[in-house]
Amino acid sequence: MADPLGIEELDQRISEVKTEIRKAVSAQDFAQASRLRTQLRALEAQWHGALELAESSVSGKPGNMQLPVRETVHQILTLLAVPAAPRTIVAVHAAFFAGELAGSQLTYLRRDEERSFRTAPHGRPYYLCSALTYDRLTAARGLIAVSSWPLHRRIVGTLSARVDYLRSAIKLAEHIDRTDRPSPAAQRLLWQVAAGIPNASASFGDARPASVIEAATAELSVHDDDDRVQREQAARRARKQLGDAEQLFGAPTLSAVRKAG
Amino acid sequence: MSTQLRLDALRGSGVIAKPHNARTIAALTRNPGCTRRAVMDAAGVDKDKTAAATGHPASIGKLSPLAVARGQGFEARVKSQGGAELLRLLRENLGLPIPQAHYLDLGGDDDSVIGGRYLRSRSALAASADSGPDAGTLFDHPMLRLQIAGVWVYLEPDMVAFRLEDKFYIIEIKSFAIVDGVADPGDVTRAAIQSSVYVLALRNLLADAGHDPNLVADQVILVCPKDFSNQPTAHFVDVRKQLTVLRRQLARMADIDRLLDSLPDGVTFDLAPDAHGLPTRSAADLAHALRSVEARYAPECLSACELALFCRHDAHDAHSTAALGRTVREELGGVDCTSTAVALGTGTLVPTDDLVQAAETLRAAHALRTAILGQLA
Amino acid sequence: MSTLTSYARALAAETGQAKRLGTVRHLHVHDRPLVIVPLTLAGETNAPVAAMAGSQHDKPTVIVAGQPRMRSKRLDFAAELAEVVLPFITECAQRIEYVPTGRDGSEMRTRMADAPQLWVPNPGGISYLRMLGRMTRLRKTVGEYAVPLPVPEMGKWLTWFAEQSEFADTSLLQATTRALSGVWATGQSSVEDGNLAALMAWIAPPPGQSGAQAARRAEDPVTCPPAGPSTDPTFDAVVLKPALDAIDKATSDAARARLLQRLADDLTGQLQPTWDLVWQAIEALRAIPAGNHVPHRWERDRDNFGGYYQHLASDGRPQARRDNAERSARRLNDLERRLALYDAQRAFDDPMVMAEYRMGGDAFCGNVIHAEPDRTVKPGNRRQLRPLIVVQTTDPLRLLPGDADLTDQQRPKQTATILDVQHSGTATHVTLELSGSMGRGLTATPGSVPERGGTVTYSRLRTGYSAPGAFPDRDSIPWTHGGPPAQHIATEDDAREEWS
Ligand code: SF4
Repeated sequence: MADPLGIEELDQRISEVKTEIRKAVSAQDFAQASRLRTQLRALEAQWHGALELAESSVSGKPGNMQLPVRETVHQILTLLAVPAAPRTIVAVHAAFFAGELAGSQLTYLRRDEERSFRTAPHGRPYYLCSALTYDRLTAARGLIAVSSWPLHRRIVGTLSARVDYLRSAIKLAEHIDRTDRPSPAAQRLLWQVAAGIPNASASFGDARPASVIEAATAELSVHDDDDRVQREQAARRARKQLGDAEQLFGAPTLSAVRKAG
Repeated sequence: MSTQLRLDALRGSGVIAKPHNARTIAALTRNPGCTRRAVMDAAGVDKDKTAAATGHPASIGKLSPLAVARGQGFEARVKSQGGAELLRLLRENLGLPIPQAHYLDLGGDDDSVIGGRYLRSRSALAASADSGPDAGTLFDHPMLRLQIAGVWVYLEPDMVAFRLEDKFYIIEIKSFAIVDGVADPGDVTRAAIQSSVYVLALRNLLADAGHDPNLVADQVILVCPKDFSNQPTAHFVDVRKQLTVLRRQLARMADIDRLLDSLPDGVTFDLAPDAHGLPTRSAADLAHALRSVEARYAPECLSACELALFCRHDAHDAHSTAALGRTVREELGGVDCTSTAVALGTGTLVPTDDLVQAAETLRAAHALRTAILGQLA
Repeated sequence: MSTLTSYARALAAETGQAKRLGTVRHLHVHDRPLVIVPLTLAGETNAPVAAMAGSQHDKPTVIVAGQPRMRSKRLDFAAELAEVVLPFITECAQRIEYVPTGRDGSEMRTRMADAPQLWVPNPGGISYLRMLGRMTRLRKTVGEYAVPLPVPEMGKWLTWFAEQSEFADTSLLQATTRALSGVWATGQSSVEDGNLAALMAWIAPPPGQSGAQAARRAEDPVTCPPAGPSTDPTFDAVVLKPALDAIDKATSDAARARLLQRLADDLTGQLQPTWDLVWQAIEALRAIPAGNHVPHRWERDRDNFGGYYQHLASDGRPQARRDNAERSARRLNDLERRLALYDAQRAFDDPMVMAEYRMGGDAFCGNVIHAEPDRTVKPGNRRQLRPLIVVQTTDPLRLLPGDADLTDQQRPKQTATILDVQHSGTATHVTLELSGSMGRGLTATPGSVPERGGTVTYSRLRTGYSAPGAFPDRDSIPWTHGGPPAQHIATEDDAREEWS
């Protein structure tokens, strides 16, 4: 085998191969492009190898004391008390927790939880599960909930997104109110949330927990009854029609039924 | 032969028609006079692949993944948490009453039941049109459809239908910025024509459900980032003009049989792909088939049609004046060919009756150039 | 566009070579211009990725934003660019000259002896500078989201340059493609002329190739990267996005540094060809002789530069977000007046421009075949000198008897009225009555009236002074027009908008 290339040469080779890929893509020669991509991956692997070699004297990543992702997400959902989307969870994490949580870490969370539930049902104190659509009882897109919540809180009706937004705003405000010296990130988050609620913030960038709570409660009272009726009806239906796993992870969609059949 | 069979034959054996979306439908209006394009689009021919197979791969339609990611990120932000940001904008700008905070996502991860999703969208919006304003405010990802050349095309728009009082509005979310109240006019025009596709499709949907199509407003709500921030801002855009253009072109395509009648027998754009999907048809043969359908190339095609480089090549071979720009052709007195224009200018060609006036102008132009520029001319 | 330019395009297409549109150029070309080639991130509003800038072809400064997706980093980029732009502007403001002023020219006033001239590749580059100016000029230099002092300073200047560039007659900020298209016609459409590489390929093709051939080759984005500000989408897909992702994910500083270096090299590869083309274009334009009025217009550019320099020194407030009614109206009036003047100056400097008017029938050129220099008339109770000439022309005349206020460039203050138009064969005889600028008495000063056999060109074009429109002053604008304009004061919102 020839001498391994130095890192500068590898950098140069990588740039060259990328130019070749662009040419192939422009000419719509996809076979050539995919050959080149294989080559590129090999070069990049070498590049990482060469870099590690150069750095081997330097110590590795500092160990971290973070909670496992599912624990962190559980804490955040418990704080918000409503089903939430990954981007919301990441935003709350950034405001209140140390360390980093990337949206990509949440991608397979629900799928893994479902697998775990199906192999050993009720084996854990809680599962991170789905919210259910009020009409079809399928998993609502992109929302994560906690299995120990009452079922109607995991139902998404037509007003639920708004109601949950207001509820979580109240929870956030309460949490910040209890915190001794809230971080600027937390205050910014509160202001961002408040901006979406009429009369919740006094001026640009300024939101006080008490006024957020008051304003959110006021709007909540407008929607709450209608929302509750819709949710509870759907929850009753779900308990009647769905098995345990479906109640947590949603009724199967049509295509899933077809694939299984 | 039925229209559908004729179109299938144009597209070729066993090839599935290329699906349309709002962008491709909007593009239909860009060169309405071109028969080549009209029949290819009606038949759902993959123009991108066709262009590549002629040796003139398309230069348009490539989207930067960075732009795509940015667009998706902004849209997700605006729609997140039941459209909290949208509600704020609509309440502040349009006085949307507080109780109207309904948000219904009609989308699904499930592509295999498009027809079913259309029915679901239709019944949700019809139910809303039937009852008071409490029956729904925001409808995300409604499934719509339009008829193009006799074929129903389903659209899965990333837009929101919005009900205020007794009108429905299209809300189009775009990631180009509106800075100090002004956006790039090109971006706004593109957004307007795309939205007009949705307006038309949503009108069809309501009509389909037995409602007055005019419940859908001909103003759309454009939501864009404000200044340099990620905060959304909303503006009304009037799309009446775009609707007219779009309707005219769709009507033209509905009448596709007339255009098909003008084609020579047996013409097809079949690429005859092999087992790997690579075309086996020769470039020359394919080009021959394309040339048997009349085109109307102009420089605007470069940003609107995948076949532009092929057609440009032909236009250059024909010394076309329109290839230099439609106004150039007009200013040369409507003369089609640059060699004719120059020959008339230098006086080496005797004009035919219809070109006498053009020839006079061209001779004057030539005389002025030589008199003034001398060597430089 | 006009018949003459269209005809030039047809000629270029037929011969495969670019064709000159006129005898001179109408823009000033500075000895030491500042060239800026910017690249931005697709899909974002003014997210700078990289730029090449400098006033010497062989010494570009390359600025690369390592994480353009992070908003705060965009201001770091601006700070680096300011280090190139601001010293350049200061250098141009080092010397002043004295020019006579007042009625008899006995008083003196000052004018900047020099002014900065900026070049970008295309109109997109101008929009980019305008946006960058807007993004930076309102930033605060103290307080929570403070930026370094040069950032808003550069922002004000870039805004000013972008505003100036809207005037047809200024040479302060040039879009290279536009400047070239003013001098040469190519055998392709104006859409294709927007591609700097293809346009330059027509004007200066490599040896052995026709302009047409070279232009086709120049359209390959891999060998000839787009002149920006947007990058090639396949470059984004294959190089830029993977690089930015890798930089974000890098686990060590060393890895990040290496990745940044590679990205910088790749971006330089995208910038360098355009950078070279802009300089090549500047040289090509410099080689064309300048029109007679070019130095006059550059004087005004220098006056304006001095004016804004003074304004910044004494007041320093940034331009408002939006023009108020008063300023918009004034500006519109200025734009129109300066455009009219520019059109006239160009026509007088360049017979090819005048030829456009002649072809359109709004001007005519011909020989004086008859002259009555001492003709007088007595419309009231005073006799007046009103010479008469007859001009023979072959131009297609659209002017009619009774049309007045025509002038010939050689006698700008003498006006002519058409008395009669007679066609004979291919020629036309135009009888003109002249007034003004021929002395006091009832006999014309010798030489003040066109003589028989002389060549004249009459049109309505004027290069003289025209008064600006009248506008109410600041405080008396009626409320229906927005009331007295607000003075802009930078607010917290301006400082914060990036992060909100
Ligand atoms: S590129 Fe060709 S096929 Fe497409 S619209 Fe233009 S002329 Fe028609």
